[in-house]
Amino acid sequence: MNVAEALLIFAGIPLAIIVVLALLIYVPAGRNRRPRYKPGQPWEHAPVWYEPHPDHGPEAGHGETLAIGSSDHGEFHGAQSPDSHGATTARVVNGGPLGGARGTW
Amino acid sequence: MNMTIEHDSAVDGMYDPRADSVVEQSVDRIFSYQELARLDEALTMSSRETGLRFTLYIGDLGTPSRVRAEELHARSGGNPAEAVLIAVSPGQRVVEVVTGAAASRRLPDRACALAVLSMTGSFAGGDLVGGIVNGLRQLSDQAGHPSGHRRH
Repeated sequence: MNVAEALLIFAGIPLAIIVVLALLIYVPAGRNRRPRYKPGQPWEHAPVWYEPHPDHGPEAGHGETLAIGSSDHGEFHGAQSPDSHGATTARVVNGGPLGGARGTW
Repeated sequence: MNMTIEHDSAVDGMYDPRADSVVEQSVDRIFSYQELARLDEALTMSSRETGLRFTLYIGDLGTPSRVRAEELHARSGGNPAEAVLIAVSPGQRVVEVVTGAAASRRLPDRACALAVLSMTGSFAGGDLVGGIVNGLRQLSDQAGHPSGHRRH
């Protein structure tokens, strides 16, 4: 066994293994990377509203939620009162005395 | 399920290339498809099991966040008395649960507070989807089946 062979075996093979492992570890993380939410960072996405699938009934039809941004008429912000939107107020029904909870983190 | 800007034009069948490009960008920008599927399943199953209508809002709530969340609850579609809105504002680190009059009889405020506590625990660890899914599970477990039409 000469020096070249010894180098190839004792340095080349471990290096190759390290490279393969490094690729396996870092390549999947590299693509399709979505910034993960960390508490305290600002939230710059547009508001989204998820609703359940309709339960095969006439009520709860698709797109029934008067979701923010569900129409092209743009967003209605908290500063505006709902009364300023003639079209929207017709569908706004108060659910009676509301309950619930609030939390911060 | 995903109520973003593209929805109306996509459903109405009118082809609008501008709206289409919005779809391409926005659907999985916040959450991956896997996470969206988890959210979808959690929302649909808890609504189906309890007969209440659970909706989930993620976005800025402004101040005071409670007023804004109640406004949103009133617009959440269906019968607001039976609607439950979970509003999460990650930027402000606030989560609000709003229950309608009929829903709050089955989901007392204490139960909501417990679900909120478990959600904020996950949120503080950076796990938005896991927290929401667990919170929905707690809320639907607490609400139980609607009396009358019990299903298995």
